Amino acid sequence: MKTLVVPPLVTALLLAASVGAGQQPPVLTPRDSAFHALNRLAYGPRPGEVERVAQEGVMRWIDRQLAPDQIADGDRAAREREFRVLHYDRGDLAQLYLDAQRERRERKADTTADQTPGPVEQQGRRLAGQLAELAVVRATISERQLYEVMVDFWTNHFNVFLGKGADRFLLPDYVEHVIRPHALGRFEDLLIATAESPAMLFYLDNWESVALGLNENYARELLELHTLGVDGGYTQQDVINVARIFTGWSIKRPRQGGDFEFHESVHDEGEKQVLGVGFQASHGMDEGIRLLKLLANQPATMHHVSQQLCERFVSDDPPDGCVDDAVAAWRRSHGDLRQVLRAIFTSPDFWAPGTLGGKVKTPLEFVVSAARAVGADPDTNPRLAQLVARLGEPLYLHVAPDGYPEKQDAWVNSGALLDRMNAAVALAAGNVPGLVVHLDSIVSPTADADRLVAALDERILGGTLSPNTRKVLREQLADVGDPLQARALAVGLAIGGPEFQRQ
Amino acid sequence: MIISRRVFVKSGGLALVSFGLDPLFLARAAFATNRLSGYPPNRPVLVCLFQRGAVDGLNMIVPHGDALYYRERPRIAVPATDVIDLDGYFGLHPRLAPLKQWWDAKSLAAIHAIGSPDASRSHFDAQDYMEAGTPGVKATPDGWLNRYCQHDRQHADTPFRAVAFGPQLPRILAGSAPSLAIDDLQAFGLRAPRLQPAARDRLTRAFEQLYAGSATGLLSSSSQEAFHAVQMLQQLDLAEYRPANDAAYPRGRFGKAMLEIAQLIKADVGVQLAFADVTGWDTHVNQGASEGLLATRLGEFGQALAAFAQDLGEKLRDVVVLTMSEFGRTVRENGNSGTDHGHATAMLVLGGPVNGGTVLGRWPGLDPAQRFEGRDVQVTTDFRDLFAEILARHLGARDLSAVFPGFTPDPGRFPGAIRG
Repeated sequence: MKTLVVPPLVTALLLAASVGAGQQPPVLTPRDSAFHALNRLAYGPRPGEVERVAQEGVMRWIDRQLAPDQIADGDRAAREREFRVLHYDRGDLAQLYLDAQRERRERKADTTADQTPGPVEQQGRRLAGQLAELAVVRATISERQLYEVMVDFWTNHFNVFLGKGADRFLLPDYVEHVIRPHALGRFEDLLIATAESPAMLFYLDNWESVALGLNENYARELLELHTLGVDGGYTQQDVINVARIFTGWSIKRPRQGGDFEFHESVHDEGEKQVLGVGFQASHGMDEGIRLLKLLANQPATMHHVSQQLCERFVSDDPPDGCVDDAVAAWRRSHGDLRQVLRAIFTSPDFWAPGTLGGKVKTPLEFVVSAARAVGADPDTNPRLAQLVARLGEPLYLHVAPDGYPEKQDAWVNSGALLDRMNAAVALAAGNVPGLVVHLDSIVSPTADADRLVAALDERILGGTLSPNTRKVLREQLADVGDPLQARALAVGLAIGGPEFQRQ
Repeated sequence: MIISRRVFVKSGGLALVSFGLDPLFLARAAFATNRLSGYPPNRPVLVCLFQRGAVDGLNMIVPHGDALYYRERPRIAVPATDVIDLDGYFGLHPRLAPLKQWWDAKSLAAIHAIGSPDASRSHFDAQDYMEAGTPGVKATPDGWLNRYCQHDRQHADTPFRAVAFGPQLPRILAGSAPSLAIDDLQAFGLRAPRLQPAARDRLTRAFEQLYAGSATGLLSSSSQEAFHAVQMLQQLDLAEYRPANDAAYPRGRFGKAMLEIAQLIKADVGVQLAFADVTGWDTHVNQGASEGLLATRLGEFGQALAAFAQDLGEKLRDVVVLTMSEFGRTVRENGNSGTDHGHATAMLVLGGPVNGGTVLGRWPGLDPAQRFEGRDVQVTTDFRDLFAEILARHLGARDLSAVFPGFTPDPGRFPGAIRG
């Protein structure tokens, strides 16, 4: 029997939560809490990490994760430098895109020429592949795990589709300079940064919206998805007035990857009202900034975004308690995301027994957690990103502005499950070309079934291995004599099996 | 090769299927085949296609007989000389020309001014309502196709009863009745390139046992559906499929999905419901007229539908294809030669049982006084009236109020899409 040594803060909260109901506090060992925190705030444990976090104390580890700048992250920084896509700015990428288009046109026009893509086109494809792989690599190897989780969260919340025209060259800059700097900052700053980003202005058509030719696309999604939520109490007239406020928010020379630019001459100068708040005539760009600050601090926005955060960290259908805790922290801290997250991680709902293992991993979470479990050391080769895509979540390629879904219904289906099993077997067998895995970090090669199963349970499954899985693994290993084969089979089955799909 | 029919009953998310050692599974199919017998070959089939992003119904089924249409869309109206006339007032977008022969054969009909009684112009809400089948109600946990499956157990004898093509199971099929999501028919199953078939089968069985014994909830039911389907597909020779009657599917995701739907229908594995998405309809900017953005999308769409009908040949007798989209687009073009989110749109029905060759539904006209909120085509047919008619008259559904809760189906309001 494991001893009950729950972190003091957690114990206090659990006791406080259960006093009213007259229940016994749930039994969470330090290892259970560490495994849970690593599954939610991080992309799953690497072999040995559960012990390390348990030893450090899970709340101390969480506090460190909330201050990512203080966490040394040299391996990630070194690996990032190998990604050439980071060496290009918007302008360089725009030029590359134009050159590739020209090369392609010339190739198509000359029917006698070799029709394989030319060097510039190939370079463009390589960079696009690198972009997706970079996200997966950071998630896999960064020590700042919570930060990377939040980058993925905001990338979906403020989704931009890479396949839409200029966004092919605007998106890398959007990830680096809009999403990442604000991922654990203040919501208001993040909201304003996305509103002014050429990538978003292009994606939701606002760059072309002018007083005499209104385009409502951005205005509607700003209210519905980015801030208030669909039930946030706005009207069609509010949508139109928001669109009027953002007329003239545009891009300087978009085809050259230009910056944000406000075009006074096409801005709607009239008076407007949004949510009953008046916007005086002729305040130009200030109207938009004022509106974004207004929206960022609306109770509906706090509730909508907190609800989504709780769906990500607590449960597909989160209890009101943790959402209320997050909203209260938001109000107290004026939208400091670290405070909001801390409130969620200290909410009794986060540590409730039903929460543990209660969520199914998204394809990105599955692939990254699997890569971490097998000690993979991914490089710029887009192999892992391709796996994520194959499982249904090609990064930056969600067409609609709502981003990839968080809930299990969207991801658990028969075809996707088979693909996860395939991915698991390939990863464990070292059959993902170009990807080095270190199964030694789980267990040294052995055909001893008991030793294998015990190591998997401890180092990959956090002690959640079920009696049935133990039985099936033993049966499968019974007549495999080769230690390397036995280990690869066991790891593949464990990662493709039902326990590992949960977090 | 005859595959045994297995009872595939599920209640409350638990499939009551035993996964013992099945000799059929370990024995490789002795003869590859294109068909499995065991299911009635004339089972009625419904194929639902979702045009995600809100298709511009006015440029798909064009009211070319209306001067207002041309006045409101100076840059993006399809010129009357390009429209393929259907009845003197409406016509097909020129890129839908491959569908004209089915119209002439009375196997294709359009329903205009159809949509949701809910006024939302949000893609996500409107798609959600259309797939849940409950406009205005978000809390509906399942989709209407799935609810139909829950209430008609008669056809629940195969894992292929309801199949969605794509990496994710769509909302319309979400729910407690089993359904499959297939992204790539040929690759469906465990792949182990370096393993012999026997080793692959063994791996499949190991995973099957892992999930049968250790999985809970959705992971459990989905995995059971998966392994049963893998077993059946092993009996089919999928790689050798050639479309019949020189049917030419367009390249791309949608064409591939339509080809695989035809392939499964012809294999007689018991498909009753198939679903696929076709994207790219959110034409806010430069949507074009006879040529351009929307024309390209319609071209692929029409070519895939025509190839599907061609490929099915005789089989089209039992099949109805229904297209849907969450709402239509503004009557007037916007400042960027595109259209914004509107209200009513047009839907198509194609197949043997279809009462084809007419534009169905009451046309409210484009006059501003007749428009919804002064800007959009008014909805005169609730989408549930069309969906309910197809379920009742084509699939023989009896309990429509269970499929569309809160809605009283009235045959008097059915648009008349299925021949009596």
